[in-house]
Amino acid sequence: MEMLLMGACLSMFGLAVACLAFGAATRETRGADAGAPALEKAVAKAAAVAPARFFVDVPALPMAARGKVPIEALLLQLENHVRLEHAAAECFLESPNASLLHSRTTSAFLN
Amino acid sequence: MNADLLQGLDRSEAESVLALGKRVVLTSGAELFHLGDVAESIYLVARGRLRLTLPMQVRSREEDVMVEERSSGQTVGWSALIPPYRFTLTATAPLETEVIALPREALHGYFAAHPATGYAVSVNLASIIGNRLQLFQAMWLREIQRMVELRCA
Repeated sequence: MEMLLMGACLSMFGLAVACLAFGAATRETRGADAGAPALEKAVAKAAAVAPARFFVDVPALPMAARGKVPIEALLLQLENHVRLEHAAAECFLESPNASLLHSRTTSAFLN
Repeated sequence: MNADLLQGLDRSEAESVLALGKRVVLTSGAELFHLGDVAESIYLVARGRLRLTLPMQVRSREEDVMVEERSSGQTVGWSALIPPYRFTLTATAPLETEVIALPREALHGYFAAHPATGYAVSVNLASIIGNRLQLFQAMWLREIQRMVELRCA
């Protein structure tokens, strides 16, 4: 009988500890949820600017981060952009039509 | 050498025009001409590559930004044949490059004596300039289109 009561007490104690732990865990989640909409919004915005492609997810850097890109890297991006624009314009001149004139490129400057 | 400026000329005519020029070898990084310089010669790229650049402000620093590249067989520096004879770009060699410099005075003298050759070269020059104009017109319009999209977004 004593053993049974001891078992019941320990079970109740264990249950209480589990309830407290559960409460604490869900409270943290709720706190984190408060910042989630802003994060989701930012992710959605980034996805809209740089949509995912097969095998490649182009990282869309925030404007603040773009300012930290070394100038040499920026100039290389610019040079690559000019080459792509040049190639796109050449394609248009070979077969002039509106869709080729406004064809998209993979330039990191625009994506 | 298959130069765009000499298209349509027979071999002896092309060789006569090339004989007016002087071969110049540029080491990697060397500048052929600078924006605003007086343009005395037009250049044919014999081998290698030339970067044509314009200055641009990038983070408050003036940087030479590439606007076009020219390689073997292509003509650079046609400002030498068009008034006011000033280069409107800077040309540098990103690798060892050989060009044939054709002085304006020598070309004018030769064309006066050989008007058919002068006509053929002038037509080729018009084609080179026209192609540049159409290319940059298309590139300009693509940028304007993006500005419109940004403004209307």
